[in-house]
Amino acid sequence: MDIEQIPILFGPERNLVGVITTPASSTGAPIACLMLNMGANHRGGPHRINVKLAHRLATMGITSLRMDLSGLGDSGPARTDLGYYAQCVLDLQAGMDLLRTTHGIQRFVVVGLCSGAAHALNLSVADPRVTGILLFDGYSFAGRRWHWERSLRRALAAPTNPAVVGKTLRWLRRTFTNAAPVAGDAPAVNIFTLEKETPAEVRATFSRSMATLVERGVSVYLLYSGTQHVRDVDRDHLGTLVREPFADKLRYEFSRDIDHTMTSLAAQSAFLTCASNWALGVALPGAAAGATSASGAGPAAAPEEETPSAWGALAPAKPGGSRRSRRENNGFIETVY
Amino acid sequence: MTPLMFGPASRRLFGLYHPAEEGRPTRGAVLVCPPFGQEALRSHRFFKVLADRLARAGFSVLRFDCHGTGDSPGDDADGDLEGWSHDVVAAHEELRRLSTTPAGTPPLNWLGARLGGTLALLAARQARPALDRLVLWEPVMDGPAYARMLREWHVHSLEISYCIPESSLRRQLANDENAFVDEASGFGVSPRLRAQLLRLQPDGLRCEATGRTTVIARPGDKAVAQWARSHPAARVLDFDHPLDWNSDPGSSNALVPADALKQLLATMNE
Repeated sequence: MDIEQIPILFGPERNLVGVITTPASSTGAPIACLMLNMGANHRGGPHRINVKLAHRLATMGITSLRMDLSGLGDSGPARTDLGYYAQCVLDLQAGMDLLRTTHGIQRFVVVGLCSGAAHALNLSVADPRVTGILLFDGYSFAGRRWHWERSLRRALAAPTNPAVVGKTLRWLRRTFTNAAPVAGDAPAVNIFTLEKETPAEVRATFSRSMATLVERGVSVYLLYSGTQHVRDVDRDHLGTLVREPFADKLRYEFSRDIDHTMTSLAAQSAFLTCASNWALGVALPGAAAGATSASGAGPAAAPEEETPSAWGALAPAKPGGSRRSRRENNGFIETVY
Repeated sequence: MTPLMFGPASRRLFGLYHPAEEGRPTRGAVLVCPPFGQEALRSHRFFKVLADRLARAGFSVLRFDCHGTGDSPGDDADGDLEGWSHDVVAAHEELRRLSTTPAGTPPLNWLGARLGGTLALLAARQARPALDRLVLWEPVMDGPAYARMLREWHVHSLEISYCIPESSLRRQLANDENAFVDEASGFGVSPRLRAQLLRLQPDGLRCEATGRTTVIARPGDKAVAQWARSHPAARVLDFDHPLDWNSDPGSSNALVPADALKQLLATMNE
């Protein structure tokens, strides 16, 4: 299917830069996908993943907008006196307003990677037009066991894996560099932490938001990478929130084959399959036989030939139990410990 | 600044046009040819800020993405030096169109960084009208060394990105020359592009029919020194800076190092 790209300057202050990607010759799905910055990356995302996802979605009939938030990428700064997070919600709402005007679309899914997950979550709570959010490596409330196990596994791997030694040395250097600033230096300002909440506040906000979204029927997809850990026993990143009533309504997956910035083409392929099939399932549930619901009941349909096998690269964590099988497909092997 | 698409229907390209600020004497127009892959991602903000500053100084600037890169259509695997050189020429034509006023066409300059500098060198003789200035920032002139660096950085990126990376990555890199050749830190490398890179040598990069040429290079860049010997009219500036071309934008490495910005602005303003 041919796709069309429309670069655009938009927003009340016309300071926001985005690219609309749309199927060139179809009516398209009634839902569009919003993509935004991950950290300081521009709208293209790490390793151009947002562009690739936009192209994939367009071939599936889904329009998307990838955009730079105020002051990031190519977008100019906002002239409001709002805080960073509040401004980001306004920016994303401007993106939704744009697609309503240009394509008549009024429902949206949002893909938030890393820091982008916070903006996706804030937006979804604030605006009922959002019907689905994918939070990739966004929030983690993993407990002590998770941390200790990771440290232990790294320690055990170090004697035979030089990369782990280098990783440990870099961690030590970062830790001690941060802990001991040079006397007289002004502390560095990090815009992503200016309005940072305490861990307890983050947890409370996340919990409240999840309850709200689940009640509203929003599809919430939490996806975690192999950068964080090598395994996930029982939706570990939810910590004790796994016992909350909303937890079983979330779709939660961990893939050790996908890394945080999708560095290999194989990792990108796996992520694109996850994200695009989820978006398709939300946008056109009737078109995707067996589409996954927000409760993570099963894999989405297979609009592309690699889909069934790539799905096997993932291990949807099952409520109340660890993974029990070993799935092998398409070069991906989900190792079970 | 205006985001736009340009070029033939079969090969549309994404661009961002920064017109010279009104009320300033027009100094000329600048086409920015960005680096490849992670280097392009890493330096995106740098060239955005540079373009804003140049526009303030009276230059109209066009930044663009070659086919299959950045916001332009196409897949990673579509990329090759020949096609991308044609993209540079198409962008030159677009910049000429955008910057031409009733008063005429301003002097047209190119600023190419890393592999974008190499593409600028390859494409310069096809530019119509001819270039007024060609500024190259650490152009890739030793293709085999660059291809080797891409493989090494790919393995490094994998190692730092996974919780416990595969222990065999370095062994594969050292023992198998065909390992990690079809992708570079998240970007596909077509067999054609790889073959072109492996043939790329300073003596094969002839720079003719262009205006003034300035190469800004790290001190001790042997490939640039070799190229300069056969291009005595070109000026080579030694310049070191803290920008780490391959790191993630989120790392503790300045996105827009002030001294690099100052150096490039000074060079373009000469």
